[in-house]
Amino acid sequence: MIDLILIAFIGYVLMLGIRRPYLWVLLYIYIDILAPQRIGYGVITSLSVSLIAFAAAFGGWLALDNKKGARFTMRQGLILALMLYCWWTTGNADFPENAATKWDWVWKAMLFAIFLPLTLTTRLRIEGALLTMLLSMAVIIVGAGIKVVFGGGGYENKILIVNDNSGIYETSVLACMAIAVIPSILWFTRHGQIFPPDWRVKLFAYGFVFACVLIPVGTEARTGLVCFAVLLLLMFRHMKHKALFAGLGAIAMVAAIPFLPSSFTERMSTITTFQQDQSASTRVAVWAWTIDYASKNPWGGGFDAYRGNSFEYRMRVEERVGTTTSVSYEEVTDEARAYHSAIFEVLGEQGYPGLVLWSLIQITGLWSMARVRRRWKDREGPDEQWQAPLASALAQAQIIYLVGALFTGIAYTPPMLLLLAFQIGLSSYLKQCEEPEGAAPVRSLARPSAPVTPQPSGAV
Amino acid sequence: MIDYFALALGHGLLALAMLRLVMREALDVDPRLKELADKAEAEREAASVASRNARRRKQSGRARRTGQDQHAGQSEAGE
Repeated sequence: MIDLILIAFIGYVLMLGIRRPYLWVLLYIYIDILAPQRIGYGVITSLSVSLIAFAAAFGGWLALDNKKGARFTMRQGLILALMLYCWWTTGNADFPENAATKWDWVWKAMLFAIFLPLTLTTRLRIEGALLTMLLSMAVIIVGAGIKVVFGGGGYENKILIVNDNSGIYETSVLACMAIAVIPSILWFTRHGQIFPPDWRVKLFAYGFVFACVLIPVGTEARTGLVCFAVLLLLMFRHMKHKALFAGLGAIAMVAAIPFLPSSFTERMSTITTFQQDQSASTRVAVWAWTIDYASKNPWGGGFDAYRGNSFEYRMRVEERVGTTTSVSYEEVTDEARAYHSAIFEVLGEQGYPGLVLWSLIQITGLWSMARVRRRWKDREGPDEQWQAPLASALAQAQIIYLVGALFTGIAYTPPMLLLLAFQIGLSSYLKQCEEPEGAAPVRSLARPSAPVTPQPSGAV
Repeated sequence: MIDYFALALGHGLLALAMLRLVMREALDVDPRLKELADKAEAEREAASVASRNARRRKQSGRARRTGQDQHAGQSEAGE
């Protein structure tokens, strides 16, 4: 039954796309995030829905879209360079089979991140793409949030609609991204055009935000709590009544503690007792190993190069007997431990060139959004109010992701690559909106027959 | 049960959003960019009409001057 409903939905969007092929791009975003083929049990699992959607999205754009305003920017070039570099390291990987498995999904996510900005040529398209990503995430997050409210959850417990620990269904990725998208959800309560903000939109959005906050509680991923703290700091920066916000926030946090499951508070308390935590000790040991590995293999060891690691380290163990606490150090041997950090993941797998490219992609994203915000924040026109807040929301999402990525290996996670694509699309589109009238078209991918429109001279 | 509810809610909203998008012309033609393009086109046309008129005026002025010179030359030769 569920298969039929999912297939019917995909068929419905494919039909709508006949009138406006851009909807096929949205269909791919939906499939990329939600992976309906993993939700169903029967027919849908045997269909290559992802391939069908990508073929429709790319073919529709190539054959039917007018491509007016579509431009290839420097940041897309950086993602392409990283993708090609990853392809090269995969060919020379330490563990060819494992590397090929990871490459299989990484290149698709990167290719789509390069392609998507070419289609984001109108405001409504940018909003539609962002809304599709958020609503697809809502299917996972709202369900998980309700389960947490009714007492479910726990680290590695089954609160998600799919429990295969891949893609966005990996608890650390979900906890990080659920917090990262909160500013974007709030943007829709003020500036949305598809669902004009009214009480229903606000009710859903605030409920969705609440569910997002519950994800770190439900999954007990410590990354989520760190990300939430970063979100509060970022929101605090933009608050008009800072003292009131800080006071209410502190009261809310203290009041929430009794309602949190004890397993959550116990697990979160391990953030401060990291010396006794094997997971934390391993991280430090893996990071040291990666730096050493990169000095010997500066060009990278290909995807999953961490499988070659093996190290011993001393872990502090505290034992309490009555009122006395004895401290001892235990030798722990570990093998094939994952990187537990996006930065070390890229360093180990793609070496220093890959790390430089990856960092450039991230830094130019933050810089580009800061630039958009600076240029649009003081404008007073009625249709000039949405740009700066959206740029802020996308930048905040990236900052939260980057902080989360310090502690989890999520360097190539598809939701983040989508956010990067939205940033590129937004920046590109707004450059055209600012273009001096009558400027000559430059580097346009528009068809020769298309009417001449002002084009920007470059994009970031 | 909760999963079914979340699936129904998310897909219902997605279906509605897609339907609203498909009915909007602004999805493919951005109103702001169109306005800018129309303005630029109008200015370009106005500029080209003005330059054509100026060129015509210039050409006719030159022709008139050449005619007067020839006329003056003939008069001088007659004298």
